[in-house]
Amino acid sequence: MGREVAESCIDGVIIEMVSAYCKRFYATKPELAARRIEAIGYQVGHQLIERYTVERPRFSDHLEAIKFICKDFWSELFKKQIDNLKTNHRGTFVLQDNRFRWLTRVSIDPSLDINEASLESSAVTPENKAAEATSMHLYFPCGIIRGALSNLGIPCAVSADISNLPACSFVVRVKA
Amino acid sequence: MIACVAVVGHQNNPLYLQSFTEADDALKLHHIVHCSLDVIDERVNNPKRSVLTLNETFLGLLFPTESYKVFGYLTNTKVKFIMVTTDLDVKDADVRSFFRRFHAAYVDAVSNPFHVPGKKIASRIFAGRVSGIVKTFALGTNG
Repeated sequence: MGREVAESCIDGVIIEMVSAYCKRFYATKPELAARRIEAIGYQVGHQLIERYTVERPRFSDHLEAIKFICKDFWSELFKKQIDNLKTNHRGTFVLQDNRFRWLTRVSIDPSLDINEASLESSAVTPENKAAEATSMHLYFPCGIIRGALSNLGIPCAVSADISNLPACSFVVRVKA
Repeated sequence: MIACVAVVGHQNNPLYLQSFTEADDALKLHHIVHCSLDVIDERVNNPKRSVLTLNETFLGLLFPTESYKVFGYLTNTKVKFIMVTTDLDVKDADVRSFFRRFHAAYVDAVSNPFHVPGKKIASRIFAGRVSGIVKTFALGTNG
């Protein structure tokens, strides 16, 4: 019915969700927090794909479905398309977004975490903590992609790679 | 006059079944819907035998029985909509627009965060919208 919400509200909700699950609900069990966030993303992706594939002819194969995710689905969600799609033609796809919208505000400067790092063991470096915090934010979009593809009939596993922010790659492995 | 509409999930699990006749043949309508699932599977898996394009969502007339016509529609997420009508001369365009509106109502019902995917659609708003769509269909074909 066309009601609109400011984008900062979406950013706020996602940041608060990740923070609530990581620091309050499952503070001692980050793997469970990650799984819950990914499950939320799964349901969202599941429902969104239903809405965005209305009036669309059915996809003939997996590649068509992935291309739909890269172009139309991504533009509905993030107002841009996936910048690069790679595949090994054996069920693995890499979707690369050179400027992932939900990570544009993430600080890549690890020097702010120096105080916390000194209290813990020397194995945890500031870079690790920053990377860990950022990766928590990626479970939600991974879940969205997984939910969208499973509703199209393609069971898969999705993981994210943030070796160079703000670019982000999502690796989709289709389960045979 | 639409006798019955049904939504069936991708594992052939019923998600919504509503009949609009007061008669006691609700069971017969359910049976017709069940049989039409086989016809849909056959149409989708053997595209060479039928004339319709591989990827269309609207499947057209599935099979005519002596007093009913059954139409099918398959979404991208493998959810099937089935419509059984008692009208023997119903226009293709009317059925297509019916399914388009039905699809929109279905998408809104499924986007409900309290709806569990795979379970039956329990929303009264959806039921109300479907009745509205069925009524306008009946008016459209009689007018």
